[in-house]
Amino acid sequence: MAGIRLEGVGKVYPDGRRAVAEVDLDIKDGEFLVLVGPSGCGKSTVLRMIAGLEEITEGKLIIDGQVMNDVAPKDRDVAMVFQNYALYPHMSVFENMAFGLKLRKMPKDEIQRRVDAAADLLEIEDYLDRKPRALSGGQRQRVAMGRAIVREPKAFLMDEPLSNLDAKLRVVMRTELTLLHERLGTTTVYVTHDQVEAMTLGQRVAVLKPLTGRRRETLQQVAPPAELFNEPANLFVAGFIGSPAMNLVTAVVEGSGTDVDVVFGGIRLRVDPRALQRAPGLSEFAGKEVIAGIRPGDFEHSRIARDNGARSTMEVEIEVVEVLGSESYVHFPVPVPPVITPDIEDLLADTGEDKETLLDEQSMFTARISPDVSVEPPERVTLVVDTARMHFFDPSTGDRIR
Amino acid sequence: MKRGKWLLAAAFLAPAIVVLVGLVVWPALRTIFDSFYGPAGKEFVGLDNYRDMFRFERMRIAIRNSFIWVIAFPFFVTITGLILAVLSERVRWRTAFRLMLFMPAAIAILSSGIIWRIMYEANPERGAVNALLNIPASMFSPPGDLAGATPSTDAAFDRDGLIVSLDVGRDGGTVLVGMIGIREDEIPESAVQASSIADSPEPPGAGTLVGVVWRDARPGENERGVVEAGEFGIPDVVVRLIDAQDQELATGVTEPDGSFRITGIEPGAYRARIPASEFREPWGGITWLAPELATMSAIIAGIWIWGGFALLVIASGLASIPRELQEAARVDGANEWQVFRRVTVPLLAPVLGVVFVTLTINALKMFDLIIGIAPGSVQDEANVIALEMWRTAFTGLGNRGLGSAIAVFLFLLILPVMIFNIRRFRIEEERR
Repeated sequence: MAGIRLEGVGKVYPDGRRAVAEVDLDIKDGEFLVLVGPSGCGKSTVLRMIAGLEEITEGKLIIDGQVMNDVAPKDRDVAMVFQNYALYPHMSVFENMAFGLKLRKMPKDEIQRRVDAAADLLEIEDYLDRKPRALSGGQRQRVAMGRAIVREPKAFLMDEPLSNLDAKLRVVMRTELTLLHERLGTTTVYVTHDQVEAMTLGQRVAVLKPLTGRRRETLQQVAPPAELFNEPANLFVAGFIGSPAMNLVTAVVEGSGTDVDVVFGGIRLRVDPRALQRAPGLSEFAGKEVIAGIRPGDFEHSRIARDNGARSTMEVEIEVVEVLGSESYVHFPVPVPPVITPDIEDLLADTGEDKETLLDEQSMFTARISPDVSVEPPERVTLVVDTARMHFFDPSTGDRIR
Repeated sequence: MKRGKWLLAAAFLAPAIVVLVGLVVWPALRTIFDSFYGPAGKEFVGLDNYRDMFRFERMRIAIRNSFIWVIAFPFFVTITGLILAVLSERVRWRTAFRLMLFMPAAIAILSSGIIWRIMYEANPERGAVNALLNIPASMFSPPGDLAGATPSTDAAFDRDGLIVSLDVGRDGGTVLVGMIGIREDEIPESAVQASSIADSPEPPGAGTLVGVVWRDARPGENERGVVEAGEFGIPDVVVRLIDAQDQELATGVTEPDGSFRITGIEPGAYRARIPASEFREPWGGITWLAPELATMSAIIAGIWIWGGFALLVIASGLASIPRELQEAARVDGANEWQVFRRVTVPLLAPVLGVVFVTLTINALKMFDLIIGIAPGSVQDEANVIALEMWRTAFTGLGNRGLGSAIAVFLFLLILPVMIFNIRRFRIEEERR
């Protein structure tokens, strides 16, 4: 077991294409860290650089206090679990798990002991003689895990290990992974594009962003899941974490002191003092535009909303209702153009599209409300906003206003 | 209605059946039939042909050679293809590289054989293979300045070189060593008109020996043993002065005009030796198509022809191996050789099997390459079964019965390989 540190790690391919830039990460001994981001953000590349399968072109990789940049994968003492499991099809389950140990010339009885222990842990004792071909997806996944466990490596590297499983099995395996990590306590770096996986598994989560336009760093924020959700560092993290996504709107800040309102599209919301406390920088934006963010969960129907002393209401016309049973999502238009974040601008610049084409008269908001109130489109309802939990971002940089 | 369907099916199948029966089934049956008959196909001889064919020395050599082909050819071609496929995987221009290596397969095998016959010429000046080998050969044992030359003056060869007897008087001595048998184009560029120093009326002086080594020949008339105008000295020849006990006393090296000078010698009778290395012949090359080498040489040509085929098939198999498997092995602790040996090769096994079996069948029916590569004089020695079958049946007097018997024998040899192949295909199909 060991800590892993990345210092200014970057990856530029020989053809000049850049995949990763300036990643600084300090993964503690025994930590479960998740790398999450949309496709193309370089999360797998970072993992493969830690494994040694991809050359590190910039920065330093330190495992257990030793610089590993030029160390061959076989000498890094890390174990990797691949998305498609990468089981050796010509070897039995036992041989698959024993392969790495045999290569290290471990005595036979020790190999037997370790494989048996891992098989027992993963409940695959009955399949040891089978070839991977004869296993189900879930069983293959366990064998791939077992192959990593028997090595007793300094760290586990997992590249979307659950994404080939069906939804139900994925939930089961997620829990098992957490239990496994609790038992073994091995440093784990886990790559996923699934934010639910990231939030449920990670002790800390690192959000990565594809490299576009001006902002040239891959890593956006590293934080425990709750912090990521409650205090996203910028618009990218705010938009990526949370489902449905946070509602973002360009609003004007009015008032000062403790009486601050945000105004957008004829709607005026009184900002709760607690939100002001968390974002003292907001006072500098008096009379100016900010980007305000409201999570769908911070709405409630006025009929059942509990009074938390931080109320502000907006009256909207419901367009679509999705009933999920335990909650309902209501979608309604707000008469302001959608927020063009710096990322969206960069994307537009990259694709050569004109910014104006995206300008719409109105943006769609989503609110999560209790299923106990029935609403029918096109009903006009009053929604209560928990403005204590509002988020504010600087429109010029996209960073959170603190 | 049912009848109409049957007719339709028959109509569609008929052309194929006609072709199959006419061109495959009938000739095959006819060959088996013929193998029980005599040379002209008239009198029934039973199994005599099958007994007789093993009595001929030529056929025994053919069987032995076919055996060598089957053992060596598929093995080396598959190994070559595997190595090239793995190596070329990391080459930037791998498609071009692989295409180039595959090109020999586009040449008619008979033509390839002829190309290789020319490349295998023994004389390094004509055969490409020996020309290549000549580079290191002439580096480690360079041909002498006097290669192929014989003396025109009084001298005799012994084991260590050319011996000339001479006397050194009170005023010194002179010696002339004329050489003939050096072609005009073999005269070194540095050579100049041979020195007349030995003919000078003035003696060389006390204790001094002067001599000339020269090409005792010129266009037109010339007198043996006399240095004449238009005759060239031979430079850089080592001349050793030895006494009666064969002890070396002094050494001289000839100038561009062929003269050398050795000083500080007591008067007396001596001998001079030009060492054997000066007479060393240029390397003559290996006779690749000599009877005992011809089969090996033909197999090498075979590797050249089929190596590209093996490369392409194996490379496509290699491309279908998921990259993660090799990466997983690397992270598991395997070095590149272990990845190759324990993961890549086992996963390639089905492809290697296909290549190997195809090449085994090719080796058994090898025919046109031998005809192309082996000159008539060594065809008996480079013979293989298929070639012997053709020679027996269609050349000379033409013994159809015996030729047919050899054909059936060859068929029986190929049969197990075919069955193995078909069975494997079936297994693979089931697995899918």
